[in-house]
Amino acid sequence: MQQTTPEVGGMGHSIKRKEDLRFIQGKGNYVDDVHLPDMVYGHMVRSPYAHARLKSINTEKAKALPGVLAVITGEDLAKANLAWMPTLYFDKQMVLATGKVLFQSQEVAFVVAEDRYTAADAAELVEVEYEELPVLVDPHKATDPSSPILREDREEKSNHIFHWEVGDKAATDKAFQDAAVRADVHAVFQRCHPAPLETCGCVADFNRATGRITIYLTSQAPHAHRTLFALVGGIPENNIRVVSPDIGGGFGNKVPIYPGYVCAVVASLTLGRPVKWIETRSENLQSTGFARDYHMTAELAADRDGKIQALRVKTLADHGAFNAAAQPTKFPAGLFSICTGAYDYPNAFCEVDGVYTNKAPGGIAYRCSFRVTEAAYLIERVVDVLAQELKIDPVELRQKNFIRPDKFPYQSPLGWSFDSGNYQAAMDLALQKAGYGELRKEQEEKRKKGELMGIGVSSFVEIVGAGPAHTFDIAGIKMFDSAEIRVHPTGKAICRMGTKSQGQGHETTYAQIVAQELGIPAADVTVEEGDTDTAPYGLGTYASRSTPVSGAATAVAARKIRDKAKKIAAHLLECSEEDLEWEPGKFFVKGAPSKAKTIQDIAFAAYTNMPEGMEAGLEAVDYYDPPNLTFPFGTYICVVDIDKGTGEVKVRKFVAVDDCGNVINPMIVDGQIHGGLTEGLAIAFMQQIDYDESGNVQGGSFMDYLVPTAVETPHWETDKTCTPSPHHPLGAKGVGESPNVGSPAAFVNAVVDALSHLGVRHIDMPITPWKVWSVLKEKGVVS
Amino acid sequence: MALRIEKTFQVSQPIEKVWSLLSDPAKVASCVPGAQITEKIDEKTYKGSISVKVGPSLTDYKGEVQILRLDPQNHEIEIQGKGQDVRGRGSASMTMTGRLATLTDGATQVTSISEVNVVGILAQMGSRVITEVSNIMFDKFSQNFQARLQQPVAQPAAANDATAGASTPTSSASSPQPIEGGSIAWQAFKQVFSRWLQALTRLFSGRSA
Repeated sequence: MQQTTPEVGGMGHSIKRKEDLRFIQGKGNYVDDVHLPDMVYGHMVRSPYAHARLKSINTEKAKALPGVLAVITGEDLAKANLAWMPTLYFDKQMVLATGKVLFQSQEVAFVVAEDRYTAADAAELVEVEYEELPVLVDPHKATDPSSPILREDREEKSNHIFHWEVGDKAATDKAFQDAAVRADVHAVFQRCHPAPLETCGCVADFNRATGRITIYLTSQAPHAHRTLFALVGGIPENNIRVVSPDIGGGFGNKVPIYPGYVCAVVASLTLGRPVKWIETRSENLQSTGFARDYHMTAELAADRDGKIQALRVKTLADHGAFNAAAQPTKFPAGLFSICTGAYDYPNAFCEVDGVYTNKAPGGIAYRCSFRVTEAAYLIERVVDVLAQELKIDPVELRQKNFIRPDKFPYQSPLGWSFDSGNYQAAMDLALQKAGYGELRKEQEEKRKKGELMGIGVSSFVEIVGAGPAHTFDIAGIKMFDSAEIRVHPTGKAICRMGTKSQGQGHETTYAQIVAQELGIPAADVTVEEGDTDTAPYGLGTYASRSTPVSGAATAVAARKIRDKAKKIAAHLLECSEEDLEWEPGKFFVKGAPSKAKTIQDIAFAAYTNMPEGMEAGLEAVDYYDPPNLTFPFGTYICVVDIDKGTGEVKVRKFVAVDDCGNVINPMIVDGQIHGGLTEGLAIAFMQQIDYDESGNVQGGSFMDYLVPTAVETPHWETDKTCTPSPHHPLGAKGVGESPNVGSPAAFVNAVVDALSHLGVRHIDMPITPWKVWSVLKEKGVVS
Repeated sequence: MALRIEKTFQVSQPIEKVWSLLSDPAKVASCVPGAQITEKIDEKTYKGSISVKVGPSLTDYKGEVQILRLDPQNHEIEIQGKGQDVRGRGSASMTMTGRLATLTDGATQVTSISEVNVVGILAQMGSRVITEVSNIMFDKFSQNFQARLQQPVAQPAAANDATAGASTPTSSASSPQPIEGGSIAWQAFKQVFSRWLQALTRLFSGRSA
């Protein structure tokens, strides 16, 4: 790849994030910053019960409150056939409840008033009579005959949603029969929530004069949402404009369509006024897309010397009341089958069963490419258990089983073709940076003194950049993505994409791709996303797909422009195209570098002096269908000290070596890794959306659902190796999710490692001081 | 959310006098902050209500109280209460066993064991908040209970026990004993927060260094 100057700021330059200029000045424009004339406000009435029959809803008192404009119930929506809406995964969910409620905080009625306070007050006046029903909380009891059937709307009278399996069961079972050594772990990846800083919300603005509706929406996928609004609401798609302004974090939480959006749209259509609805923090935590809730068992079969022969995985997936998982159509458990990890063995079998419970719906990919986090956590956990079983160092066991660099593209036993990798290189760098040998010596010394210190290793492999059209679609729409670049006469440019940044820095990184490919300085390239009236169609930003898919589209569109630019340059230099050579920013005549035309000269000529017969303008659009997914990887090493008295775990050191192929902006990549590691730390030690036996949410506010701040966050040491993707035009792979995918196992492995000499094999997350202290007590370390 | 709350306090009154108060649900209710008996259905069943305010959340439970067991010999009473919030914010149920014992100095020890189950908005506050609220309510109750024991028998001061022996609602005795929700909530939150802050400080001490 040709190097650009820092002034141009192409690939590999740590230029500052363009978007930060407005963010750090408080000049961002989020959905709640949208204020329109005559705007009114919505507030949701929610169920206190996890499972109850709706006996009556009395809205009279609420409607009588001055300033209240409407109270919408499920019965009202049913008249317009809108009481239910399809989810992203072959199920449907209630917009507003009819008949019964299925989880605590479920949407029951929507109050619209002149101001937000009146709407909230009126919601208190809506009288709802419930009859409590038996509650199903434990997914393991979902198919018990004694458990209540939750979904009376379904033909199939069962709480079982799906069974999915992949791999060669017979061969895997045989490998287990023949195995010299077996190891297993039962690991629950707890229900957690992305908890983005900005909660979900929208402003629906229906214009009765034009018949158009504009929806300002906290959306990670504005185009897909426009199409779904058209299909579900019956509004002509040309009359819908979805605008995703600045988004304050998404992490998958802003992929689904939520009942509040639909209610705001219905209210705006009914009242002919703009309707704003913004969730509270608790509403966000209690009712919108959760993540994980995978109850997993993994077994490894291995030879006595540690060579792995087979993996067998059985998983129970708790989907809550509706299957609202946001994942590609052909993959009911997402890309969970990446669970074979960084290791080379011939046999694997994986099965997943999904069930309903009286909990909020979701199953979204929280900073994760569709269940990849669960998969990476599981394999990295069970490999450690096998190392314990074999009494060999977990690093040595990993190295013995790594897929060798010469084996790529590698066909995994569960059907993926890994594009490229050099796992040993990332491991070596991490070991060296962490001083692994010294750490093990220190641990031995400490153990003699009765001190608890642990070293956790995680060598994860990701699968991101969904995805190739032949296999990947969401609700039928293929998972391509797009970029459109227009170069203005003065050589500046604007690009629009089908993706939508929520903090990833797209306005900077896409501009750098254009700078790399065309030599137009990144500072001269405006990137705009999120307005469906102007941006080309795309599936949005999640699953680390922006760089692998839209980033590729940007490169390809830029190359189309370069092809045209070459023709114009040949015309201007009066030579043939074959005589021209490119360096970032200009074409010049081979052997005569002074005979050159810059991209700016060419842009001007494209509007003022184009060759005869050529269309004016310098622009291109590309819809990119990736030939394969990309497979970023890395090795993380975590060192913890445990306080025996309190059970407190202190992360002393954390080394993260990532390999995401060619890097666009190293500073942004570092920032993404810092953020993802911090979220991983929170999941490992602090966070869980728990439910009591009555289905009461026990993690429904920031009192209970803890978010790490700088105080709790340790120092992150980052580094990288570079193994480009062979099929991506820029050799890039995507990185935003790697740290969240790879780190939970490193944290947990470190804690278990600190306690392994006591016979501890596994501790489920979140590893709270209480949990650790309880283990120490059980093992007789503390009295 | 199920909680078990066990409490003991002593009163310097003879056991029979204490029993005459404890064995009458209407009188007991008059000592519970925010509670009242509104109707007597039969000898063992009453209708009543209780308001609990925690922070911004006011829950008005309406329901029934039933005496499951009354054992004058052993001075034991078992009461079950069930209620739903009038605005549909959730429900609560409680089974309470009250027991009296004479102490060596002639005073009486009151023991109560309550199994409480809360569903809904209040339950989301978590057991540490609910336990604190219960603690404060119980302290208030034991104060009221002792004050009540000091009162001359005939004085109709506690208007909200007027149902004893009558089947008419006592709505005339409006606002019997206001719950003082604000102060209860504030005290509870103060206690919870101070514990929480202590825990947090312990948890993360040294980490910022």
